[in-house]
Amino acid sequence: MTLSASLNAAEQRRPSRFGRMLEERLPYLIVAPAILILLLVGLFPLIYSLIVSFQRITMTENDTSLVGLLNYSELFRDTRLWASLGHTAIITAIALPLELLVGFLMAQLFIDRMPGRQIFVALLVLPTVISPIVAGATWRLMFDVRFGPIGQILSFFAGEPVRILWTVNPAYVYPAIIICEVWQWSPFMFLLLLAALSNVDQSQLEAAEIDGASYLRVLRAIVLPAIAPVIAVACLIRGLDLVRIFDIIWALTEGGPGSMTETVSLYTYVQGFSQFETSYTAAISFLVIALLTVITTLVLKRMELAR
Amino acid sequence: MKFRRFLGAFAVLVLATGSAQAADKDAADTAVEAAKKYAGTTISIVWEAGLQSLDPLNYSGPQWEKLTGIKVKVVEVPTDQMFTKIMQDFKSGAGAYDALNVIPSWMPDLARAGALEPLDKYVDKFGYREELQDIAAAYRDNQMQYDGKIYGFPDDGDVMLLYYRKDIFEDPKMKDEFKAKFGYELAPPKDWKQFDEIGQFITDKMAPKVYGAGFFRTAPYPQYMFQERFRMEGGKFFNADSMKATVNGEVGLKVFKQMLAENKFMPPGVEQWNFVDNLAAFLQGTTAMTISWPPYGRWAAGYGSGEEALKWVPKSQVAGKVGYALTPLGRPELGVGFDLSVSATSKNKEAAYLFIQWLNSKKTSLERVQLPYTLRDPFRLSHYASEKYRALWPDAPAYLDTIKTSGEKGLLDLSLLQQDKYDEAMTKAISSLWAGEDPKAILDRMAQQFDAITDKVGIENQKAVYKVWAAKPGAYPQ
Repeated sequence: MTLSASLNAAEQRRPSRFGRMLEERLPYLIVAPAILILLLVGLFPLIYSLIVSFQRITMTENDTSLVGLLNYSELFRDTRLWASLGHTAIITAIALPLELLVGFLMAQLFIDRMPGRQIFVALLVLPTVISPIVAGATWRLMFDVRFGPIGQILSFFAGEPVRILWTVNPAYVYPAIIICEVWQWSPFMFLLLLAALSNVDQSQLEAAEIDGASYLRVLRAIVLPAIAPVIAVACLIRGLDLVRIFDIIWALTEGGPGSMTETVSLYTYVQGFSQFETSYTAAISFLVIALLTVITTLVLKRMELAR
Repeated sequence: MKFRRFLGAFAVLVLATGSAQAADKDAADTAVEAAKKYAGTTISIVWEAGLQSLDPLNYSGPQWEKLTGIKVKVVEVPTDQMFTKIMQDFKSGAGAYDALNVIPSWMPDLARAGALEPLDKYVDKFGYREELQDIAAAYRDNQMQYDGKIYGFPDDGDVMLLYYRKDIFEDPKMKDEFKAKFGYELAPPKDWKQFDEIGQFITDKMAPKVYGAGFFRTAPYPQYMFQERFRMEGGKFFNADSMKATVNGEVGLKVFKQMLAENKFMPPGVEQWNFVDNLAAFLQGTTAMTISWPPYGRWAAGYGSGEEALKWVPKSQVAGKVGYALTPLGRPELGVGFDLSVSATSKNKEAAYLFIQWLNSKKTSLERVQLPYTLRDPFRLSHYASEKYRALWPDAPAYLDTIKTSGEKGLLDLSLLQQDKYDEAMTKAISSLWAGEDPKAILDRMAQQFDAITDKVGIENQKAVYKVWAAKPGAYPQ
């Protein structure tokens, strides 16, 4: 076949203009419905909430005229909102490291093969599959001053009745929340860290052992760097969950005593669904979204995961 | 001419017969007859979840269907979410609910929002006005109307009663020792000082077997107790001219300090007690006095103890030993209550109205307030006087008489625009009180929150509503 004949044949095989256009755009056309649904489901409520946050819709007023930044300026004067953000930060700052530590210690305990290991692991993971509202209600019973087993155990060891009002006394109310939170979510950390620890390079560990490296040295120089990405992701997931914490606190204290344990999620719920400050609640939500976006971006950047 | 006269006479005869027949028919029968044309439809009604809703689920709903062919769908909602659900339905325009249970203090908000259907035209159309006069004045005059229109029928005679252990109060040894110590008879306390002295005395003598008193200390009850005691000690919630909150004065402080001090002679952990904790303690004989809603009295007497639905109620150890009295200072809080209303967005307004008229009528309501497993309390004069009810247990006449007197003297719950916000501020303040925060600081914060709410609602708007509320006989003790 001559060169010109080959070129002619290739010219004939080349798809038409419509065909080329279809070929180029077909992938987009295929994913378009999914994108459209995602936009409708995800973006529409977001945009709608943003519009509502610039209006003045309350329990009795359906005022849809735009009021500018009125709701946003109110946010800065709302001491209860800032207090609730502070409570959220306290719970996150204490619970997250504790969950990580407990999860890590549990993972260390179960890294070696032992009889019945799988059964123990399955049992330890049970708290994470319980609904947080049920966990909170269960712990409320556990902390009950008359019938709760915790009081009874403490009384047994103290040799006299120990009556701690866990959900009333300001000194105990945060420990109560954190105990419940750590009990429920440490197994999540445990699972992730157990998987990560199982994948640490055994040859490095054996070499360190031969060289006589201490446990802490091995941990600092080999284990932690190896599992750091998993720790980072686990902390990010749990950190975001903790910022949204609602159910456990609702079941345990309902934000009390007073507003002492009211987190930003509880406050948003009260404003939106109990007091019907619809526009103001939308403004709170956007403040929280903005704060979370900034924090997450900074954390991701710090972890070099943003890439 | 003769024929015309005959026609005239015939017309008069027909009208007279018709009127006589109408007069014979009570409001329940009228509602049933009129509702038959809606046979085959379904109406939904919002009802408080739990025991309350066993009334429409087990009794009134099936009865109504049998009588009229209209099905009743009961939407059970926890008390603290009822307002939210009603408003959500109204705001969305979904019309998911036809009839509603409404807490009377919400009526200004719901009526102003347009969520409730005015009922006057139905009341006249179906001849219900006369039977409404049988509802005790405290409820009829204060919990039925807003801005001159009927928005709901009072359907629950909620009022606080003092329950006390007659066997302890009548024990000769206790009586003698008490009189020797305090110089007056051991009897139901007339004021809070007496209450505290009696409570402490019984605790000192009988604890840990029996404590002087126990209260339901978690939300919402303590804020009703605060409202009652604050007013009875001479407190006013607001300055009527400026609408500035005045809850943080000397009276508020005195009441807060007293309420806190009382926990000391109550069982350990009383700060965490809810309705059931307090009920269980009283029924088991652990507390000698308590204040609560009327069902405590029925259950303490053992009424309905064989009912499947009441299996969770501890078997009363104090049946026949319980006395009933007015709360100290003699003007008990009416505390919550329920109205039956029609949703403004209902697609079956007339059928919904006829159902609530039938429920609320003399005949049907008398049966409903005697259902042992629900929480509806007597609210009609005919209920208090009912021979059938008075024969239910030996002390039932004393129980009904105390409810009647308490209702007559009852203090209304504060009812303003966005009342739930004021209620929330009070509830949170009392929860801080149990946590040991400085009472004055709590009251100052509560007053600030009241002012912030009033500012947001609009001072003039709120002032007008407060003026109407404060002018009612049950708002402040005269």
